[in-house]
Amino acid sequence: MAGSALRRLMAEYKQLTLNPPEGIIAGPINEENFFEWEALITGPEGTCFEGGVFPAKLIFPPDYPLSPPKMQFTCEMFHPNIYADGRVCISILHAPGDDPMGYESSAERWSPVQSVEKILLSVVSMLAEPNDESGANVDAAKMWRDDREEFEKIAQKLVRKTLGIPP
Amino acid sequence: MPMEFLGRLPIPNLRVYVTISVVILSFSIYYATQIIKDPAWKTNHTHVDVGLHSGGDIDPTDPRSLGTHLKELLECMVMEPVCVWTLVNTGYCMLILLGKTIQKLVFGELRASENYHLKDKFWNFLFYKFIFVFGVLNVQYMDEIVLWCVWFLALGFLSLLSQLCKDRFEYLSFSPTTPGWSHARLLVLLTAILVLSSFMLLFCIAAAFFFISFNTFAFMAAECILLGVRTIHVMLRYLIHLYDTRGAGTSTQRSWDKRGPLTYYTDLISELIVLAVDFFHHVHMLLWSNIFLSMASLVICMQLRYLFYEIQRRITKHRNYLAVLNHMEQNYPMASQDELAENSDNCAICWEKMESARKLPCTHLFHNSCLQSWLEQDTSCPTCRLGLSMQANHRENTLEIPPEPQTPTRRNSNHFFLFLDASRYVSWLPSFSVEVSHNRLRGNISTFTHTNSQMDAMARQVQLLFPHYPRSIILEDLRMTRSVEWTIENILDGVLTIPHHLIEEPQEESVPQMETIVTNIMPNSSIQNSSDPRFDIPIADSGEEPSSLGGRFSKSSAERELILQRRKEHMRLTARRRYLEKHRKSEIDSTNSQITNTENIENTIS
Ligand SMILES: [Zn+2]
Ligand SMILES: [Zn+2]
Repeated sequence: MAGSALRRLMAEYKQLTLNPPEGIIAGPINEENFFEWEALITGPEGTCFEGGVFPAKLIFPPDYPLSPPKMQFTCEMFHPNIYADGRVCISILHAPGDDPMGYESSAERWSPVQSVEKILLSVVSMLAEPNDESGANVDAAKMWRDDREEFEKIAQKLVRKTLGIPP
Repeated sequence: MPMEFLGRLPIPNLRVYVTISVVILSFSIYYATQIIKDPAWKTNHTHVDVGLHSGGDIDPTDPRSLGTHLKELLECMVMEPVCVWTLVNTGYCMLILLGKTIQKLVFGELRASENYHLKDKFWNFLFYKFIFVFGVLNVQYMDEIVLWCVWFLALGFLSLLSQLCKDRFEYLSFSPTTPGWSHARLLVLLTAILVLSSFMLLFCIAAAFFFISFNTFAFMAAECILLGVRTIHVMLRYLIHLYDTRGAGTSTQRSWDKRGPLTYYTDLISELIVLAVDFFHHVHMLLWSNIFLSMASLVICMQLRYLFYEIQRRITKHRNYLAVLNHMEQNYPMASQDELAENSDNCAICWEKMESARKLPCTHLFHNSCLQSWLEQDTSCPTCRLGLSMQANHRENTLEIPPEPQTPTRRNSNHFFLFLDASRYVSWLPSFSVEVSHNRLRGNISTFTHTNSQMDAMARQVQLLFPHYPRSIILEDLRMTRSVEWTIENILDGVLTIPHHLIEEPQEESVPQMETIVTNIMPNSSIQNSSDPRFDIPIADSGEEPSSLGGRFSKSSAERELILQRRKEHMRLTARRRYLEKHRKSEIDSTNSQITNTENIENTIS
């Protein structure tokens, strides 16, 4: 199966290079292994993550468009939908079969029609609007609900960190 | 315990192991020469006696020819149990050295997972062969053990190499840029393994005629067949993969439709053969082993159970495959040429052109093989999520099913997917979703705590510097930039000098345009008066770099990597500069605000 996955990834890479969505760069870390990508996501403007450039790793399965990739931020993140180890919890990344949270309808899950670009764009909107129903990071979800100011302070600290600016 | 010789020495400490082996070997040779010198040893062995008699009654210490001396030495070593094991150990050591050489020649540095697999397979092999030799065959005599050890050394060596080839092939298939010669080397090695394993099979057959029983022959042959089939499987998959990726430039479509079933049946047949042979091999072992309730038979039973489930699983999977195939042929007709021409999109699963396609009830088209592999794991249309009932055999039935998955989406409060869902129905082309997200984000921005009074305050600030600009234009620009300094810069850079142009254009269109202008300006506007060393940032290579880098997709992988690296760097630097600039300005503004005593501006800016 790796042959068709490879061609599809190559096509997606080409499209993301020729036609990059604003604030997003993605591509293989090393072309020796086309199934491991790094993506840079700019924090959406007007939100508490504004200005930051957040690196994330994408790992694709050998049967790629049939199964979703795994995504993990490689920088420190504090967000209701991101686990402490950086794994991203959004329904577009869940295979149609599994339903860890038990609330998603299958329409939002992975399908081969989705793409890296769509994943990254939904991650951008996840950064803009956390979904505090899914508790990937309970502390962050609680803070997002109850103490927005503190949440924004932490987010700004993370933004400075990703830019390499001392606090 | 003889196995300790082999088992105690793991693969990595090669240098230590080789040294130890050489030392042991030289000791045993010394030992053997000592024994040969002892005349008592010769009397025990008729062979040597004959040799002595034919040589005449010469002084035994006399130096004879080197050949006979070596022969004697070898014979002695084979006879002596201690020396035999040193010889086996030496053979093992030499095999490892040979393996190391092959690894250096063909594989280069082993990856972590390959190393892990190799070790895993090694210990597994050792464990099962130990059980086989002592539990199943119940070998009693030393020379038999030695023979089996030699046999398994060769077999294990080839199996490990074949495993390594398989791992490496899978890894190479992850990359589009592997040079041809590394494929060639791997294929040569695979062929060599295949040839050697068929030689071993021939050897078994020959041995069966002369000196081994049928049972022993069956045991040995099964192992050879397993090795051979596994190797052939890897080779076939390799060739299909190479044909698929290398021939892509010339004959993609021709190979495409046949490739799916071809790969599938290659996998199915070789996996089933391997499982079946392994299964009967184990049944044979179980029947052969003398005591049914021994530890060995327990282990074999567990292995049998596992193999049985594997066979069952494979057959279930194949049934599913056939069912899906049958269902597709009965319910989804091939799209006509007109429909193909009408639908200019590529296949949404593999993003490749469609020369032929199957049509779902929702009129979405996909490649035959793409749809097949998707329906094996899910029963809905990939594009619109229309549920496809796999039980229904009539097309009318599937059509009657309401497109229910669409409704929960709209109902759902999980709103960060809304724009993606919307785009999904219209088109999966990215340009669309980009635009949607863009507008959406802008919507966010305008609602984000910028009340009118704050905007007015910001506009007043700008107007202090540029009194001749109408406030409405400044306000409009502020709504987009949301910062006093960006608007000031827009004015300074001449973006706002043609106000009628901006007013005439509809707002939706002017927004993306303006933002791109702003981003293009930012790299150029270097910081002139920063005194704080924290704010001294290197200016990214040049302002026009992103456009020249973004518009190209190089054919060479090295160049692609370089461009990607530079784009990333550029993005980081730009973001950093923008951030610092903003905060520097906000500091200035905060001092300004103290002077002008306007309301709390820095909050709105930062
Ligand atoms: Zn396709
Ligand atoms: Zn459909």
